[in-house]
Amino acid sequence: MLPGPGSGSATLSIDSAVSVFALDIAAHTGPWRDRHPAEKALLALGLLVCAVALPTWPAALLSGGAAAVLLAAARVPLVVVLRAARVPLLFVATSTIPLLVSMPAPARLAIDPAGLPLAAQTAGRSVAALTCLLLFTATTPLSDVLPRLHRLGIPPAVTEVAALTYRMLFLLVESVRAVRQAQAARLGFRTWRTAYRSLAGQAGAVFVRALHRARRLEEGLAVRGYTGSLAVQVAAHRVSVPFVAATTVLLGAIVTVSTGLVSPW
Amino acid sequence: MHIAEGYLPPEQAAAWFVVSAPFVVHGSRALVRQVRADPDSKLLLGAAGAFTFALSALKIPSVTGSSSHPTGTGLGAVLFRPPVMSVLGGIVLLFQALLLAHGGLSTLGANIFSMAIVGPWVAYGSYTMVRRAGGGLGPAVFAAAALGSLATYGVTVAQLALAFPDPVSGVGGALAKFGGIFAVTQIPLAISEGLLTVLVVRLLSRTSGDDLRRLGLLRPAAEVRA
Repeated sequence: MLPGPGSGSATLSIDSAVSVFALDIAAHTGPWRDRHPAEKALLALGLLVCAVALPTWPAALLSGGAAAVLLAAARVPLVVVLRAARVPLLFVATSTIPLLVSMPAPARLAIDPAGLPLAAQTAGRSVAALTCLLLFTATTPLSDVLPRLHRLGIPPAVTEVAALTYRMLFLLVESVRAVRQAQAARLGFRTWRTAYRSLAGQAGAVFVRALHRARRLEEGLAVRGYTGSLAVQVAAHRVSVPFVAATTVLLGAIVTVSTGLVSPW
Repeated sequence: MHIAEGYLPPEQAAAWFVVSAPFVVHGSRALVRQVRADPDSKLLLGAAGAFTFALSALKIPSVTGSSSHPTGTGLGAVLFRPPVMSVLGGIVLLFQALLLAHGGLSTLGANIFSMAIVGPWVAYGSYTMVRRAGGGLGPAVFAAAALGSLATYGVTVAQLALAFPDPVSGVGGALAKFGGIFAVTQIPLAISEGLLTVLVVRLLSRTSGDDLRRLGLLRPAAEVRA
């Protein structure tokens, strides 16, 4: 007989759910909190584009290395970075294995040493790009980004739905955590049968709370004379010219070195 | 299964943005029309997006002892319809990239295509076919969730195979390699997600019948038996 999911895994799930938004918390509490999001986007996403679009060696090393140094400079806790990187790194590790083997005939696999450069290049590019993404997410709160997305041509209705989703998802994920904790305390994960019933209960609770929340917002907005616009006040941040200049120099140097216009040696 | 940031070569990553764009633009136009006609629907759509995100935070226990996350594609498509899911799914995938570092910005187009476009359409198509064939709500919801999840997995495997064809047997060999390595987790997950979604809909039929009727999942004649 298969063992049940067990209380051990349920406890682990609860612990890991505590810091599910650790990156956003780091962004809200870090020293780069008051920097203009466009500055941070130019830096982190510029590095990301360099890591992905330029020849992997040396662009991935330069971009990924710069992002790692900047993560430390922005005082993002290492544990937050490592925890966030676990799932994507597991994907990279798993999906790099097929690059190291070839299939000369159906149902026959052979280790292919020629695949090593491609595997290294793909994994290197992905790890570097992930570091750049983490630099952006761990320094830029999503609440600073969403109200500015309409400047990129995204319809205001879509950015407002996204902002509402952002506003509600913390409460709903917290609901999932609370319900899971209560179910675990009541031995709700002891057998497979009870575990599935408990999971259905979590999804049901989230659905009911999401719709309830939407109705309450609807009523609250209606009594305030809601006309269809959900524009919110956005904190003004001044763009730092030295920061942008330094970013431009850094990105220019990476592009120059990576495309071989100037030999680093 | 999200393709990690930077994993796809740049040309392929860009190509998947181009492929996904028409669906997302069509879904955005539908959403804008809906919101213009009924400004209050914006709140329901926001709740639907948050619900989809929270669904992906559920941890389904797996036989390997670890846990996996459902895609939420099947239930989302059945409740909110595929065009809206292409936008809501895109928003959820963007949030997963920016809040959790799952997926990525360069691979957003590829992930939107598998999880917010193909998954929901396959799920909705399966649901409609089973219902038209006279199947009950339970089998239809199971088919939608399980086949939606399987389709997402299949498209992701195809995206990886196209990006990294096998040096000897080409894309076909790469499909077998990537498909084999992820089948261990993704096929049991699809079946689990199907079963879980049936339980969720059965529970909601009892507790939120009116909401499901408004969303068109239950017929007005109190069809509450899943």
